[in-house]
Amino acid sequence: MNRIVPGWVWGSAAAVYLFLYLPLIVVVVFSFNDSKLNAAWVGFTTAWYAKLFRNDEMLVAARNSLLIALVASVVATVLGTMAGFALHRYRMRVLPVLVVAPIAIPEILMGVALLMFFVILNLTLGLVSITLSHIAFCIGYVALVVRARLAGMDESLVEAARDCGATPSEAFRYVTLPLILPGVIAGSLMAFTLSIDDFVITFFTAGAQASTLPLQIYSMVKIAVTPEVNAISTLLLLLTLLLITVAARIAPGLLRMND
Amino acid sequence: MTAQTLRVLFAVVFCAALAGGCGKKEEAAPARKAEAEKPAEAKPTGTLNLYNWNNYLAPETIARFEKQFAAKIVQTYFSDNEEMLAKLAAGATGYDVIVPTSNALEVLIKKGDLQPLDPSKLPNLSNMKPELMNTPFDPGNKFSVPYAYSTTVIGFNDKRMKGAGLDPRGFEVLFDPAVACKIKGHITVLDSPDEVFSAAFVYLGIDPNTTSNDDYKRAAETIKKAKSCWAAFNSSSYIKELSTGNIWLALGYSVDFFQANQDAAAAKQDFKILSVIPSQGAVLSVDNMVIHKSAPNPALAHAFINFMMEGQNAAELSNLIGSGNANAAAMQFVKPEVKANLSVFPDSEAMKKLRQLRLLPAEQRQERGRLWTEVKVR
Repeated sequence: MNRIVPGWVWGSAAAVYLFLYLPLIVVVVFSFNDSKLNAAWVGFTTAWYAKLFRNDEMLVAARNSLLIALVASVVATVLGTMAGFALHRYRMRVLPVLVVAPIAIPEILMGVALLMFFVILNLTLGLVSITLSHIAFCIGYVALVVRARLAGMDESLVEAARDCGATPSEAFRYVTLPLILPGVIAGSLMAFTLSIDDFVITFFTAGAQASTLPLQIYSMVKIAVTPEVNAISTLLLLLTLLLITVAARIAPGLLRMND
Repeated sequence: MTAQTLRVLFAVVFCAALAGGCGKKEEAAPARKAEAEKPAEAKPTGTLNLYNWNNYLAPETIARFEKQFAAKIVQTYFSDNEEMLAKLAAGATGYDVIVPTSNALEVLIKKGDLQPLDPSKLPNLSNMKPELMNTPFDPGNKFSVPYAYSTTVIGFNDKRMKGAGLDPRGFEVLFDPAVACKIKGHITVLDSPDEVFSAAFVYLGIDPNTTSNDDYKRAAETIKKAKSCWAAFNSSSYIKELSTGNIWLALGYSVDFFQANQDAAAAKQDFKILSVIPSQGAVLSVDNMVIHKSAPNPALAHAFINFMMEGQNAAELSNLIGSGNANAAAMQFVKPEVKANLSVFPDSEAMKKLRQLRLLPAEQRQERGRLWTEVKVR
């Protein structure tokens, strides 16, 4: 596939990537800057990272965020895969609405609704309420990704397995699941990243006892963006990059989600 | 078909949540009250859930409280009053002590969200400065005690002011185009209709709590004329702009100017960021400690409020962020450089010219919002 790409395509692509990544690079660079001001480069330091790791509140918030994202993404992946499977298998009209609605509903409405719901249930707001609400909004994303993968799957493979004597659950386990695994992993990663950086819904469903990283960062930014915030953002960025790389290794088809 | 189904679903869920939410709250209240009366006279302990602004309690103060009461302080944060009010209005509970600004305090009291304070558990009330007690927001301090305060004042780069031959001690430097335009493009004001309109009112000699539409129009005219000399409406990065030397004069919060000056010193700049209460007066905002009606641990909440009224503990907050404090016993512990800041600890003459903002009636707020948009667009 050797096509000649005109220069302006390269140019505009470069401009778009620059726009996407330059702000992130600035954050990373300033996290190593030996000055409290995000203004001019003064000198190299890792002091902000040291300060970050001595900040107990920040560490607790980070631990909360990771815990929530881990539990929420695992649960949402299981439920979302099931939902995706149902979407693919059964042509019920109301099903897509039920699954996709939590994605389509404005986040702020979802946050307020969940908060009121938890208040009715008399559930103490905290880690549990945040995790439950993250699961709620992640299921839809996983389901959509899994369904897209199922749509591209060759049904005759499952039929062949059944013909050869596999039970429905065996056919799912040994044929369908391995085929859709890249979609499942992609969905769970999506759920993880959505959960770890969610602000609006978390804001409403977090209570007096627990805070997450985005909430913590937001309350700090209001005063001023400090290099400490840059440092924690850089670490989050690294974590995300790591996840994408790992996922690409496990499921090489992942980054080409259409095939 | 699909869209309609969705809409019906929304409506049903929303109504159910609303109806259920209200019913539950009423029956839950008495149960909590009974719990609150249980604790004996023993020293309170346990966990204190504090809903506070970020960086608004010194680490050494936390450590001392936790040691003294064998208790734990868990803080969660809000970054403006509306955010906190929204969250409580939606039904969030579990907070022992909250630190609202006076006009948000008024809202909480009106809605019956707070527990009355028990003065017998607050012997340190005698430390408080009388001029900051018994305000119209909470007459008799039935529900609240001042925590700390800041003022909305003019902050400036001392070297640049000298260079331009300007006197920043009055609002002329911000609102009179003949003066302000001498440093055109080097001025920012807060991106807040509350603060900017109030400053314009004070400059024009009008009570900032006015509800007259004519007053609002006059203020809007003044702002529009002065605006051509300003660089931006900026509430988020003016600390940085001042300490890097890009901006020379700003309407902002006294605690922020304190921060900007510290940052400038740390960056070894050859200027200082000073602040002053304008000759015409300024807006004062006081944050208060209150106990939420759902407080799981009201005994410890009282203990905390009393603890924060001890001189040293109150002073540590002032030393941390350069805020004012309403505690006479704290003054001996406040660092000299903080005490010397006249925009935070003004003489009694200037203190009399400080005004706290009431909450505007809904109608007025709408009109002001409209004028604010107009001012910002043109």
